[in-house]
Order: sequence, then C-alpha cells, then structure tokens
Amino acid sequence: MNKRLRNALKGLADPDVERRRRAMEPFVRATFGIFIRYLYRYLGNEVECEDVLEDVYADIWENPERLRNITNEKQLLKTVYLYYMRKRLREVYRRINRNLHLSQRNLKDIIAPEIGALEMVSQSELQQILRLALSKLKAREQRAIELWMEGASNRAIANELKTTVGAVKMLEYRTMLKLKKMLRYYCRED
Amino acid sequence: MQEEETMPDTNREIHELLVDYAGALRDGCIPAFLKSLTREEAERIASSWEFWDATEVSRILNSVGFADKAVAPNVSLFISRVDAEIASRLKKAKASRPGKRPRRFGSQKRSSGGARSVTRPENRTEKSI
Repeated sequence: MNKRLRNALKGLADPDVERRRRAMEPFVRATFGIFIRYLYRYLGNEVECEDVLEDVYADIWENPERLRNITNEKQLLKTVYLYYMRKRLREVYRRINRNLHLSQRNLKDIIAPEIGALEMVSQSELQQILRLALSKLKAREQRAIELWMEGASNRAIANELKTTVGAVKMLEYRTMLKLKKMLRYYCRED
Repeated sequence: MQEEETMPDTNREIHELLVDYAGALRDGCIPAFLKSLTREEAERIASSWEFWDATEVSRILNSVGFADKAVAPNVSLFISRVDAEIASRLKKAKASRPGKRPRRFGSQKRSSGGARSVTRPENRTEKSI
C-alpha cells in the first residue's frame, strides 16, 4: 500500500468526528479512482456511481471500524465492497423492485453479487489477463469482443462480421463463457 | 445506443438475455433491462447458471473497457459533495439528540392527577383503619 493511502487510513481512526471529517479529504483523494472504477463495473453509469460513492464515503466516516486493520489495497477494496458498497448498491434499484418479475434474491445477485474469483483482481492485472485471454480466442470471437468493447452495437458487429444480429448474440454469449473459463484459469495460476 | 436492440424482443433466450444485460451495463441503463424482463425470462435467468457465470465476465469487460470514463477529472467537487453529506448527517445526529431524552413531564402529570393517584390513597386509608 502506498504511503498516501496509509496516512489517509490513519486519519480515519480518529475518534473525534470533526477530525475524522477533515481526514476524509485525503482519504477520498487517495481512493476515489479505485472505488469508482470498481463501482462502475456493477452500474455502468458514472452519475449513479458518484451518488453511491458519496453515501459510501459518508458511511465510512460514520463507522470506520472495518478499515482499522487494512494492510493492502486489495484488502481495502474487498472490505469496502463487502461492508459499505454492497448495502448501497442494493438500494440503487430498490424503488423499481416492486414492478419487476425478477425475485429479490436474483436482483441482489445482479446488482451486488457475492465476490467471485475475478471480482477482486486489480484493474491492471485484469487488463493483462484479459489481453492474454483475448489473444487465445478465435479471430472472429476476438473481433466481436473487441468491437463490443469499443462500444459498437450488435448490428454494427453483425455488419462487420457479415452475419446476423442473432448469430452475433450467440457468438458473444459463447465467447463470454469461454472467457470466463480462461480468466478463472489465469487467476488460479496467479 | 443499445436500447432498440434490448427492448423489442418479448421472449428472449438465455444468450439474448445475457447480451442484452451486457449491453445495458455498458450503456448504463440496467433499469431498462430489468424492467424489460417478462416473468418467463426472469425464471429463465434464475435457473441458468451459465447466465450468472457470464455476467461476471460482462462486468469485467465493462470495467476494463469503460471504467476510466467514470473517473471525474475534478475530485475536489466530489469531495465537497461528500463533506456536505457528512455535514447533513452531523446535523441530523445533533438534532436527534435532545429528542432521545425521556419525557417525564407527561408521566408525572398523569400520576399526580390521574385515576391511579385517586385510588391509592383510598387503599392506604383502608389499610390504616
């Protein structure tokens, strides 16, 4: 863990609420990038990410005990996700929940799932592993995922691959399942 | 961007549901995807382990491909939002403190002029006689 983050975490241990409030600024500066990138993977919307994160930081200020014995960045992210983010993530879509056919449990699993093996891999490690996994795919699968990650619609991908939208959806689905196996394998190796 | 492809299908297969979920996540419109699910589709999702397996990958693709755009260039503005939220919670906590005091005034009044106080002295006088 870098010195900046270590010092920021020390400030959160202060029992005085006003001093802890002042300690929030360096803590937010040190962690904002890490937390918002992580939240983005669940919400895909920067406005919602900021709203959730605002509550998460206020919760941390109010009750920072869970962050007392943090020794590294991965542990920090895991603790913050389990004890602060998940609760807030589950509240994001609570309002629309009444009109959904999806059960409460499935909704929770979609919005704020249990931590899988891949969820706790750092952003830079993920980029590396994903690049490696993509290079092992068939050219067509690789191109479909690359285009998807560039923001292309399924129709645009179908045009590029000279196929139908239905075929593209099936290709993406199969490739994602394939990627899952590969990523899991690389994570285990790490 | 993806909405025209995620909305119209009524009875989607599991692979279509996954791709629509991934598209909704990428485009930041998860509520639209959730609302578009029919009862049958919701049941299909609930019973498919492959769907849940693939959602993890779609989250990772979303994170690697697009998470950087969520990082606001001006963190100071966000810090002031957090500070305002903390200030509001402090204010609420201070405001709720006096309310926690037990209200003895009401109970005292009741005991001094209520029915109980009328019956007790009568009992006492009966005992003494």
